Amino acid sequence: MTADIRETLWDVIVIGAGMGGGMAGRRLAERGLKVLFVEKGPQGYRAEHQGIDPEMGDPVARLLRGYWPGPIRARIDGRDSEFFGPIGAGVGGSSVFYAATLERPERHDIEAIEGRPHPTGGWPVGYDAMRDWYAEAEQLLHVCGQADPLSPEACTLEPPPPLSGVDAALMRSLRGAGLHPYRSHSAIRYLDGCHDCLGTKCPRPCKMDGRSAGVEPALATGRAALLDRCDVRRLCGTADHVSHIEVARGGEVFDLRARQFVLAGGALGSPRLLLASASEAWPEGCANHSGLVGRNLMFHLNEVFALWPQQTAPDDGPSKAISLRDFYHWQGQRFGTVQAMGLKAGYGEIVHVLGGMFDRSMLRHMRALRHVTRLPAAVAARVLGRAQVFVGLLEDLGYPENRVTWDASAPDAIDITYTLHPELLARRRAFRRAIRAGLRGHRSLFLTHAPELNFGHPCGTLRMGLDPATSVLDADCRAHGIGNLHVADASFMPTSMGVNPSLTIAANALRVAEGIARRREAGE
Amino acid sequence: MSVTDGIAVVTGAGGGLGRALALELAARGVRVAAIGRSPGGIEETAAMAPEGRIMTVMADVADADAVRNAFAAITEAAPVSVLINNAAVYPRRDFLDESGESFAATVAVNLGGMVNCTRAALDGMVRTGRGRIVNVSTFADMAPLPASAAYSVSKGAGRILTRALVADLGDRFPGIVITDWMPGMLATRMGIADGLAPGVAARWGAALALWDDPALNGAVFEMNREVLPPRGLKARLRDALLMRRRPPRVIPDS
Repeated sequence: MTADIRETLWDVIVIGAGMGGGMAGRRLAERGLKVLFVEKGPQGYRAEHQGIDPEMGDPVARLLRGYWPGPIRARIDGRDSEFFGPIGAGVGGSSVFYAATLERPERHDIEAIEGRPHPTGGWPVGYDAMRDWYAEAEQLLHVCGQADPLSPEACTLEPPPPLSGVDAALMRSLRGAGLHPYRSHSAIRYLDGCHDCLGTKCPRPCKMDGRSAGVEPALATGRAALLDRCDVRRLCGTADHVSHIEVARGGEVFDLRARQFVLAGGALGSPRLLLASASEAWPEGCANHSGLVGRNLMFHLNEVFALWPQQTAPDDGPSKAISLRDFYHWQGQRFGTVQAMGLKAGYGEIVHVLGGMFDRSMLRHMRALRHVTRLPAAVAARVLGRAQVFVGLLEDLGYPENRVTWDASAPDAIDITYTLHPELLARRRAFRRAIRAGLRGHRSLFLTHAPELNFGHPCGTLRMGLDPATSVLDADCRAHGIGNLHVADASFMPTSMGVNPSLTIAANALRVAEGIARRREAGE
Repeated sequence: MSVTDGIAVVTGAGGGLGRALALELAARGVRVAAIGRSPGGIEETAAMAPEGRIMTVMADVADADAVRNAFAAITEAAPVSVLINNAAVYPRRDFLDESGESFAATVAVNLGGMVNCTRAALDGMVRTGRGRIVNVSTFADMAPLPASAAYSVSKGAGRILTRALVADLGDRFPGIVITDWMPGMLATRMGIADGLAPGVAARWGAALALWDDPALNGAVFEMNREVLPPRGLKARLRDALLMRRRPPRVIPDS
């Protein structure tokens, strides 16, 4: 089978079969192009149901489960730490493990509007140009939910399932406080016997992700193929053209050829591959004239808090279906959305939160002490009772010194350098104050204290812009100066927005794929 | 899909505990595939059950190829939803009377049979994400008796296999539930004269094999009660403080 794949000149090779690569490959195959997905991780078994286990350290076991095999080696504010991030490697990428929250950004996330200037002056593609792609992504991913009462923009949503008792009580309670909760936008189809696979692989085509809404429909066209467990080592070509990629699979090294290449290895993976592709043609790395490949790395900050409904709520499970955007943009400041995490503030979650705090603290080298967090957690679980856990996502802004780098001696390790800027820390304090003030009348408790980066939301490392000196990609997400290299993952985002990135990744991937298909039809 | 929708495979079903397990499952309305090394035993087993309830499949579990063929034949009838790895040999032999070959032959049945059948059954189970595997075990590895080296080693390795399977599959396929079961001292050819009637033990074993609760993954049962994993003093103290102690589970409906 691989002999066929190796001898084919593909219309498009998609590197990385996650949300971006999956959706782009699907659109390309549906438009009649011959597509090869090249994926580092395994295809896996469809009935698998695992979540991401950050404690699993063995790289072989990690990759088998669809986790990125290597650790994140982070230097954050000058302090080194090493841990496993919520990063996938397998068909569907990280998205098979996500909670399927697919929310549209606000207009001001993408462009400057009156009273809300944009930190970069605005994306080269405005909100109106993105709108139809968002609608299409929502449709392909079966997004259900309710319109945000504060937003003038319409979304394309299927009706959500009936509200649970606890969510209904929370809705009433939040509305009573003058807030505007709505049903989160979720890519779960709630098929009969739905397992509610928040954070785990879904054994059925019920949770919509890069696998079920991307790679699987692409393969079903008969025009796409998948090469899994395949490491892409480098892109090769001339100054303005990629001719082939060099890959390693099962101990063999070989080349794969295509007319067009779509890079979708994620905001941490894609820039690393471009840097690893340094050659005579591209001395600084592929597509790196600007020196910006890997820079402007952004995450969100997670502000996690427990919230008790004012009225007594039935005890029928965790809330997972509520979002609110009352604090999204507040007194001239860019914050972000607030959403239920699908957790009750039970014992396990609190152990996890405390364990995470421990890992980031000065005590982290004394592993034996980590168990001590279990004791306060047991106490906290009793005190917290039936609280629901929410998270506020705080927009991060790009700084060139925040970056992901490439270490040829440790190809599976993801090296990042990140500094929490005073601007971000000040905005964070204001965000927390805003949440506290807005929830007046509710009992609430912040569960995060030190700033917590959301390593599941990396973006920005191949910034899209009009000026080749200050960006890596043009408005079509083509690399400046390399006509057949496109990017379809979160790397393109000039700003991190105040919402989960997945819907934007999917919408943009459709846009990028359609651009490739149209240029091909036009004979370019 | 429930575990009773598919076929329950019982190995070593030509006599003793295996026969009793096959009959007990059949009596509970489950379709059974009885695997045995020779046709006589399994046909006798099938004849003791209601017509058509037990299919017989001749295979030596030590022979990987024969096991693959056996499971292919069974799967043609219905998917395998339950596997009871029961087949075992217990040659009483002084180690000085063992050769490398004789020792390996025992391991090939007791451990290799478990590996071959489990591997073959998993082909279908990982497709649906559902299944139930019970490995018939003993405490023989804890304090090996004289003249029991090959048996003790291979049965002990079988218990390690259960834990290794849970390590590989437990998180990925929580609906494939694997447990160890020590039936107790039985009045069978392998057991002792004044032991338990195999029919009594089989009621526990069959009920355990049909107890389809993901929380049982990796659990160990002796007769009809769970054997909790040994805990150190510190762990027991912590459990007590956090009120996490739980009583051993008992096999219901047996």
